[in-house]
Amino acid sequence: MEYIVEAQGLRKTYGAVQALRGVSLRVQRGEVVGVLGANGAGKSTLIECILGVRKPDAGEIRLLGMHPERERKRLFAQVGVQFQQSAVQERIRVGELCQMTAALYPQTTPAAPLLAQFGLAGKLRQQVSDLSGGERQKLFIVLALLPMPQLVFLDELTTGLDARARRDVWQCLKQQKAQGLTIVLTSHFMDEVEALCDRVLILRHGQTHFEGTVQQAVAATPHQRLEDAYLWLTDDEREDNA
Amino acid sequence: MKTFPILLKTELKLSLRGMDMLIFALCMPVVMVLILGAVFGDRPAYDGASHTFLAQSFGAVSAIAICAGGVMGLPLVLSDYRGKKILKRFWVTPTSPAMLIAVQLTIYALYAFASLALVSLTATLLFGMRLAGSPIAFLGAYLLVMVSMFSIGALVGGLARDGKMAGALASILYFPMLVFSGATLPYEVMPPLMQRIADALPLTQGIKLLKAASLGLPAEGVALPIAVMAILALVCGGVALRFFRWE
Repeated sequence: MEYIVEAQGLRKTYGAVQALRGVSLRVQRGEVVGVLGANGAGKSTLIECILGVRKPDAGEIRLLGMHPERERKRLFAQVGVQFQQSAVQERIRVGELCQMTAALYPQTTPAAPLLAQFGLAGKLRQQVSDLSGGERQKLFIVLALLPMPQLVFLDELTTGLDARARRDVWQCLKQQKAQGLTIVLTSHFMDEVEALCDRVLILRHGQTHFEGTVQQAVAATPHQRLEDAYLWLTDDEREDNA
Repeated sequence: MKTFPILLKTELKLSLRGMDMLIFALCMPVVMVLILGAVFGDRPAYDGASHTFLAQSFGAVSAIAICAGGVMGLPLVLSDYRGKKILKRFWVTPTSPAMLIAVQLTIYALYAFASLALVSLTATLLFGMRLAGSPIAFLGAYLLVMVSMFSIGALVGGLARDGKMAGALASILYFPMLVFSGATLPYEVMPPLMQRIADALPLTQGIKLLKAASLGLPAEGVALPIAVMAILALVCGGVALRFFRWE
């Protein structure tokens, strides 16, 4: 079995807050894995530790078999990342942002076909700030895909988008998944997770609360839909009474 | 490597689109030369002086762009790019955020040299100014003042908690230096008390150095300004490098 992401026993403390208390995550090639949990459960910390932008207090990480800090340059030539609420330079145009992003990588795929595939052809000269929310998020996916990555991280991709734009973004990701891309994403929307993810990792208070397929998550509860199952799984009151 | 030139081209375009530096680093110094030239013509700096008032002001006016870029432009763009997590994004690419900072430093250096060229051309072509001192010495002094001012800007931009704080600090540094260091209001017309206060501003020392180099004044007077510039560059640059906040 080939694991593209291997994180073992990650711990991270900020002052008195234990953000991660021994979390592990393994992702196989071609899988789409959703990291779920309430705000403050440790999702962003987990992603940032895995990416090496935050240093875990303990734990081991390998991405594509490489150490995210020590082999940063080689690793991130093959990994696309989209942080939560990414902002870009003021007044930058779509074409300029694509060109600039491509310049950061040793090898990239041409931006034009990707932009066309994501419905952004003809927007090259438009300022990024003038795009609609959905167009912006699709542009950020395009940027993450430019280096022809084997693995992409997408943090809260569709937060703040309307229903139509979210469906558009899902469609784009499903196409990429079909082409074999490995995706790790965080989301607050269970319909999205159901539509896209093979497996989920539910975090609660910095610990792994559930890990398994979407079907397993649903089957572990008396409910039929992931949203209800998720709420049931992460319900504090039920836990306390049990 | 294609990375640096492409980043430089794009960031320069964005900066020009922003207009601030066009106005404060490129237009304003030329306007200053036009005003000084129109008011003082080829009058000597003082009775019996061998150089004109305009020639005496040349070093000061050429420092305006260094001040605007180093103390205003640079801290604002650094804190903005950190606040927007643009620097952080660079950590998850094969390029380091240091590259983006190098690009910004280059852009502000380009503004300063472009401004120096424009100011020199305006002063020589329109008002017949002549550089009495050695051009090499002047360029050396200009570079030193630039490195020194840019390291102050890097310190402010690198350590300020957010864009608001960087903006406030930049204003506190920029406006007094612009007005009281002799860059706009000539040092020579200030009353002695004001001159002594002005001497405490780093840019005042930088301008003294530029003035001495442009007028070809004896080297004894410039030891203090050179020392101040060099120490500032080392201390601010060192602290900025050591404690720079990426996010």
